[in-house]
Amino acid sequence: MARQTLGLGRILERARLPRRPSLITGSTLIDSVVRLNPISLLANPVMLIVEATFVIVAAMAVDPSAFVPVASVREQGFYVEVAAILLITVWFSTLSDSLAERQAKNTANSLRQLESEVPSKKVVTEGWEREIVLVRSNELLKGDLVLLEKNDVVPVDAEVLEGIAMVDESLVTGESAPVRKAPGDSLIGGSKVVTDTLTARVAVNFGESYVDQMVKMVEASKRPKTPNEVAITTVLFGLSAIFTILIVALLGLSATLGLGADLSVLIALYVCLLPTTIGALLPAIGLSGITRLYERKVVAKSGKAIETAGDTDVILLDKTGTITVGNRQAVEFIPLEGHTEGEVGEAAFLTSWFDDTPEGRSLIRLAYDKGYVPRELNAITLSEVYEFSANTRTSGVKLFHGSTFTLPKGGHTRIRRKFFHEEAGERGMHLSEDETEILKGAPDSLLKAGFTAPTNFSKLVEEISARGDTPMAVARDHQVIGLIRLRDILKAGTKEKIQAVKAMGIRPVMITGDQPLTAKSIAQEVGIEEFVPQAKPEDKYGIVLKEQAQTRVVAMIGDGTNDAPALAVADVGLAMNSGTEAAKEAANMVDLESNPAKIIDVVLLGKQLLMTRGAVTAFSIANDVAKYFAILPVMFATTFPALRALNILGLGLNSAVLSALIFNAVIIPLLIPLAMKGVAFKPSDTMTLFLKNVLVYGVGGVIVPFVGIKLIDLLIGAL
Amino acid sequence: MAAQKEQKQGYRPVVVLSLLSLLICGFLFPFVVTGISQVALPSQANGSLAQLAGRNVGSYYIDNGFTLPVFFHARNESNPLVASASGVDPDITLQDALSQVIGIHNATGIPTSDLIVMVKSHQQETLWVLGDPYVNVLVLNLALINSYPSVYSSYR
Amino acid sequence: MIDATQTFSIIVILGAALVSGSLLAPYIVRVFNGGPSRFDRILDPIERRLYRLMGAKPEATMGWKEYFLAALLLNVGQMVLAFIILVYQNVLPLNPQGFPGLSLDLAFNTVVSFATNTNLQHYNGEATLSYFSQLGAIQFLQFTSAATGICCMVALVRGFRAGSANLGNFYVDFIRSLTRILLPLCLMAALVFVALGVPQSLGGYVPVKTVEGSTQTILVGPVASLVSIMQLGTNGGGYYGANSAYPFQNPNPATDVLEIYLMLLLPTALVFVFGELLGKKRETRPILIGTYGLFALDLAIAFIPPLPIVGPGLETRFGGFFSTFWTVVTTAVTTGSVNSSLSGIHPLAILSAFMGMLIQATPGGKGVGVMYMVMYIVITVFVVGLMTGRTPEYLGMKITARDVKLVMVAFLIHPLVILVPTVLAYATHAVDAIPGLTSLPTSVGFTQVLYEFTSAAANNGSDFLGASANTPFFNLATAIVILVGRYGPIAVLLALAGSMVGRKRSSEHSLKTDSNTFSLVLIGSILLLVVLTFLPFLILGPVLAYFQGMVNFFG
Repeated sequence: MARQTLGLGRILERARLPRRPSLITGSTLIDSVVRLNPISLLANPVMLIVEATFVIVAAMAVDPSAFVPVASVREQGFYVEVAAILLITVWFSTLSDSLAERQAKNTANSLRQLESEVPSKKVVTEGWEREIVLVRSNELLKGDLVLLEKNDVVPVDAEVLEGIAMVDESLVTGESAPVRKAPGDSLIGGSKVVTDTLTARVAVNFGESYVDQMVKMVEASKRPKTPNEVAITTVLFGLSAIFTILIVALLGLSATLGLGADLSVLIALYVCLLPTTIGALLPAIGLSGITRLYERKVVAKSGKAIETAGDTDVILLDKTGTITVGNRQAVEFIPLEGHTEGEVGEAAFLTSWFDDTPEGRSLIRLAYDKGYVPRELNAITLSEVYEFSANTRTSGVKLFHGSTFTLPKGGHTRIRRKFFHEEAGERGMHLSEDETEILKGAPDSLLKAGFTAPTNFSKLVEEISARGDTPMAVARDHQVIGLIRLRDILKAGTKEKIQAVKAMGIRPVMITGDQPLTAKSIAQEVGIEEFVPQAKPEDKYGIVLKEQAQTRVVAMIGDGTNDAPALAVADVGLAMNSGTEAAKEAANMVDLESNPAKIIDVVLLGKQLLMTRGAVTAFSIANDVAKYFAILPVMFATTFPALRALNILGLGLNSAVLSALIFNAVIIPLLIPLAMKGVAFKPSDTMTLFLKNVLVYGVGGVIVPFVGIKLIDLLIGAL
Repeated sequence: MAAQKEQKQGYRPVVVLSLLSLLICGFLFPFVVTGISQVALPSQANGSLAQLAGRNVGSYYIDNGFTLPVFFHARNESNPLVASASGVDPDITLQDALSQVIGIHNATGIPTSDLIVMVKSHQQETLWVLGDPYVNVLVLNLALINSYPSVYSSYR
Repeated sequence: MIDATQTFSIIVILGAALVSGSLLAPYIVRVFNGGPSRFDRILDPIERRLYRLMGAKPEATMGWKEYFLAALLLNVGQMVLAFIILVYQNVLPLNPQGFPGLSLDLAFNTVVSFATNTNLQHYNGEATLSYFSQLGAIQFLQFTSAATGICCMVALVRGFRAGSANLGNFYVDFIRSLTRILLPLCLMAALVFVALGVPQSLGGYVPVKTVEGSTQTILVGPVASLVSIMQLGTNGGGYYGANSAYPFQNPNPATDVLEIYLMLLLPTALVFVFGELLGKKRETRPILIGTYGLFALDLAIAFIPPLPIVGPGLETRFGGFFSTFWTVVTTAVTTGSVNSSLSGIHPLAILSAFMGMLIQATPGGKGVGVMYMVMYIVITVFVVGLMTGRTPEYLGMKITARDVKLVMVAFLIHPLVILVPTVLAYATHAVDAIPGLTSLPTSVGFTQVLYEFTSAAANNGSDFLGASANTPFFNLATAIVILVGRYGPIAVLLALAGSMVGRKRSSEHSLKTDSNTFSLVLIGSILLLVVLTFLPFLILGPVLAYFQGMVNFFG
């Protein structure tokens, strides 16, 4: 079956950062040279060994006579060359570290600029007195209150206590439209208040925000090795130990048997065999993995979290925001027996007049487009507005004198806003004769409230659900008069992403508050087999535990306080920056852009990180074969001419060692781009990826150096 | 699960099991094999001894050390450079045997054609059809002695 | 080069080993799972009595440390007994030839060598050991070392098996592997050997007057019982110095084929036991393809050059083909018995023998071969598994840094105990004590010394030097190499198994280790690791000899 799969680049969200400054700068170069000092190489044993061999060969170059019989005065020039290449090999390694760190810092700083020190208005309370003190943002402590007026920049992450305002977060998240912030909402440091005034409580100490955490993490010395890095370092250490035994044994044999091997050639073989490529690039690979997340404005609290993301077995996807745009749109009014479309449209219009949700607005728009705006709108007298309640899942209005929508003339009466949770059970109860109540809500909740409906009601509801739409019922005076078809708008690109994770053997599970039929239809549309309908946020916790009990690694997103327990237990928890502080605290990653669909990117980037590490490791080890065939025939060539038969590359006897050594060095900078960008891959199943990568990096790792060394040898010969 | 924890048993199991395994594997087993073999397969069990005129002259599986020109010779005596691994290889290749025919004919007067027939009738195939056929020198020489009693009268 | 008939015979022998091995595997698994068997009626009461005598509780279970210590201590106890027997054989019974006791260093080397399934022999048995020693030291240790190897592998698999809480009980495993596997199989094999011409007597050497009238001693003894366990247990130490080249130990092509078959049987069966005991039969696949794939490669290397002709170092009845085939098999399963002198073998076949001993898992010694394969699998899964974009898992268990450390240590032991003493042998001029060794061409002399330590480290036991290496240096050096090469990796790999007990397992979407793809990658990875580690030394030895145009090591 030919399945169309897209490359990783097409699937991931585009990075929205400004163009990066050039990485190769004077400071990077100086930094890479500073790192050549042995103490900073302690963390990288392979490179430390190479540097030690440089010292030995350099000593041979200075005074070859001191090294006889394993050196020859005639070869002094050769020793200078070998020593130079060895030093360059180490430098290439430190250069890759410097570059990766520079890149990570650049990325982090571009986010950190959002949070530079700004003057802020601290609220000091003494008894009933409130006083505003001007302070700098770095003086603010967690728990302090700040006043944010129009055009103020939010100094640090904070939580709104009082007031409602529009806040521009575009600098932080790239989302251009200002966001409405009400009590309980989070404010991101660096965003800007564009209307009204807020009082907010500082949520973190200055320098503790996520951006700060991640800037710290990119500094190599402070970045703890992840479990995988520790394991790879162990392999490299083991291989280095083996090759050390091997070279010491060869040296001993050569000395006692008089095989005439030159120490510099032995050292060249040693360095060529050492896993220098992966040894040099391992730190850069890990750091670049973190950088790639930053570029997508996801802040991981640890490198380990990114690795774990690669291991994900199950992704819990919130339908809203991940699979669908988030707001359902009304697309059709369906009258029930004995009613007209116009009646339904006008009723829907009225119920939504005070409903500021996107759904409500879409109802108004649809009614307006169809011409179902009640004619004497201004004359309508409302007695009450029922705001939407999550428990009854209804909202609506109560009107005076309304068996029809033509209302008596007269002024507006003061509207009482009702909050259902305040006066429980009041809705739909006391209805005097001159009042009309219009409600809209979930069909089953209206029925539950005891409203009457014609017989074909249930059938219509089911039909709508089965097509993936959400039915909403409209009732007048305890009687359901019609249905509204609400349609979910799928997010662009989500289907491809879901296909990608499925191809990689990861199970996407859709979590939604929708009815089973609606949920099923949407899940089918995007290719998800598993979904949990009618789920409340707190259900996620149980779902995570259930999957984990079957030893699966679970990734999820969350924003509300209700999500915090699930985020805390999930192996990979991505919190939305717009979410509550508790959710962000519990998660191990935060998406500054608050785009739930990024959980998929995070998983794919985690995989890419692991894959890059494995690919360079395999490539590095596989390279050794060719290096053997370059150096060994030459090493004992004078003592055993018969071994020249092994010189299958036909290398020059004098240039073979240099060619292998040069290849060993230049492969490092050649692979820096791969280390920093990550291995390109098409999401596909584990074994296909495995086979492809084994062929490219394993088998390729055997072949490439044969070609490379031969080319370098020809080049040396030509010079 | 506390009961499953190995209890401290000291060195007794080790000491006893060392001795028991010595008795069972080192002595009981070979004694049983020896007993059965000596009863059921006495000839093989005692070295497949070859007899001539009622006395043991050697084993069919061990080179009998022929040096006289009237006999076929094994490799071990002819040239130390081509000595076998065991040094007592009782067999020679068919070609080797045939190449010795002239010498034996010269020493004994037995017609070469008879000798060739004799060699070929005593060739042993390696298993199935593998490898080159070979000839057991002792078997061949004993056959010569028995077929030409007048020539080999002194060996009977 | 081999012809069609020879190829066919290889296929038949390997096929027989594979078929019977796979048929034997379920029985072996039942033995170690304590499942019912038709022998229970006879053996249960006997085994119960043994446990009572030992004061051991058969239902007690062990962690990896207890299991390993029990095995080590028992082996030490057995070594002590055998050591006493060898040193005091002159005062012990069954010594019709009146051989003196062994020197302490030779006795030490010998018990270490046999208790570890190595069977390096720095003596000629027929001229050194009494019947009592052949039985009470040699044959005894051949049984116990074989049983120990099987037990350790079983314990390893228990550690990797889902839901196991411990590694089992060593004493129970040890006794059952003797009573229910090794002794019955050896009894059958020994009787067949007798029928085919292998002697089995305790009556003393037989003096005869040859046809031409000179005196000759026919060196008969309890050979058949020894040969059976020596081959079945992949021990390899022969009754005679010439090993299975000596006609009494291997009188004809029929016994030769049987001996080749027997040394393949248990290592092959245990490959199948792995998956079956694990409860995941498909996991046998990478081990089967890996072991036999590499074995096929060994054979291919050995059979590239023309077969040696019946000449120096070869027995007429086996010829070039069976001698070369044996050499490859005996090193592939680290038995170490020989049916020819290695000096008569082509350098490329010697290279192939080195491969077998360096890899140690083609399919390797019974038990330990599978353990080494698991080691290679864990290394391979870790290095290439990352390329699937997941933390590498084997059998659903994530491979941790500690696991990697353990397998790297296990892998590191081999080059360490081969290369260091090889260099030391030259640096200390210990090689000069072996007559003629230093006067040989470098490639030949070096090959012999390297082979000695490789064989010791791999617990193989075949060698070029034989009794000529009976010098204090070689006796002690090889003994140390043997001990570290045997118990080091076993301890480390059992520690690995111990850490797998009760580990969380995921069930899906990781690298499929039971696939053909992985099996082939495994082969490549093993070759790469082993070749990288040892190539320069192989090049100075057999490879150089080959390029110098030698056809065998007689020069």
